[in-house]
Amino acid sequence: MHISEGVLSAPVLFSGIGLAAAGTAIGLKKLDYDKISRAGVLGASFFVASLIHVPIGPSSIHLILNGIVGLLLGWAAFPVILVALILQAMIFQFGGVTILGVNTIIMATPAVITYYLFGRLIHKGRITAAIASFGCGFISVLLSSILVALSLYFTDDDFFEVASLVIVSNIPVMIIEGIITALCISFLKKVQPSMLS
Amino acid sequence: MKRFLLIFSALFIFTGNLYGHKVIIFAWVEGDKVYTESKFAGGKKVKNGKIEVFNSNGKLLLKGFTNNNGEFSFDTPLKATLDIVLNAGAGHRGKWTLNKEEFFETEEEHPAYKSENNIEKGNSLNRNNLNSETIEITKEELEKVVEKALDKKLAPLKKMVAESMAGRSKFNDIIGGIGYILGLMGIAAYFKFKGEKGSEK
Repeated sequence: MHISEGVLSAPVLFSGIGLAAAGTAIGLKKLDYDKISRAGVLGASFFVASLIHVPIGPSSIHLILNGIVGLLLGWAAFPVILVALILQAMIFQFGGVTILGVNTIIMATPAVITYYLFGRLIHKGRITAAIASFGCGFISVLLSSILVALSLYFTDDDFFEVASLVIVSNIPVMIIEGIITALCISFLKKVQPSMLS
Repeated sequence: MKRFLLIFSALFIFTGNLYGHKVIIFAWVEGDKVYTESKFAGGKKVKNGKIEVFNSNGKLLLKGFTNNNGEFSFDTPLKATLDIVLNAGAGHRGKWTLNKEEFFETEEEHPAYKSENNIEKGNSLNRNNLNSETIEITKEELEKVVEKALDKKLAPLKKMVAESMAGRSKFNDIIGGIGYILGLMGIAAYFKFKGEKGSEK
């Protein structure tokens, strides 16, 4: 879901940078030192996740993991995702430098939104938590696809055509991520529920 | 914490192919045509991708679409450095710069059309006239024949080099990236430690 360098127009890029900077500032304030190790692990997983290719669909899709990053970090998802995207751009030429702001918004905003939507539900019973985590993983990828389509729309393309293509080709990812998020959260609930604060 | 780490490191199992999320286009010259091939980083061909060819000043020279095999070829519009841009939809973009040196350097117009006819005419004329074993062929014609044969033989080689250049993400790169993240964690933890120590006094 990373948008490549040189695709989007300048106004979209600048608004992306501005919004991402604001989100990162809020995220850094809310990132207390106790959460640093959790942030590091999740950042590393997000970094690696984009290399996992899901070979289904017309275009190329990959795992994102922003659902679980948001669920466990809240607003701190912004700086964590930003750092991971910077490393991906530098090391794998994945995404790009000017488009860093937009890509951060695309990945981190759904993370925060699903945190607010589903965050409280994971403290309830096991089944509720599993269903909520599935929904979290599913919806964060869905929202990311919509944001990709919006960024492309504000640059050039016909919104509904691109939006449907991106969303449909990412449906397998939505399902897989929902399952992964549900599995991780139920595992954590059993083993270390303190992490789910 | 440790078990959490274990779960996420299990994801490493799936990174067997280690391909990034890019779209790649390579282009090479054979005779007076330019051939291009477009793929997603995982190896899947780009079908119906939009191709645009620009000169070094950014002027659009021609455009077209890739076929079901990710290929698109066109007659060389201009023997100069060309920028070939692929747009595979949904924000996937790739570029290949074809340098001037890759084109056969003779006259300005397409020499192949003219010289091919010349070679055939020349050979048949000579055969009829001389009626001997040897066939006269000028130095220029010989050059063109060799050039054409070389292009054909080298095209698959160029493709192989381009593919390996496209850079599959190496395992070392992943370890490096994770190292950076752990380093940042360490720095943050250091400052936390300093803060705690300071407040104790």
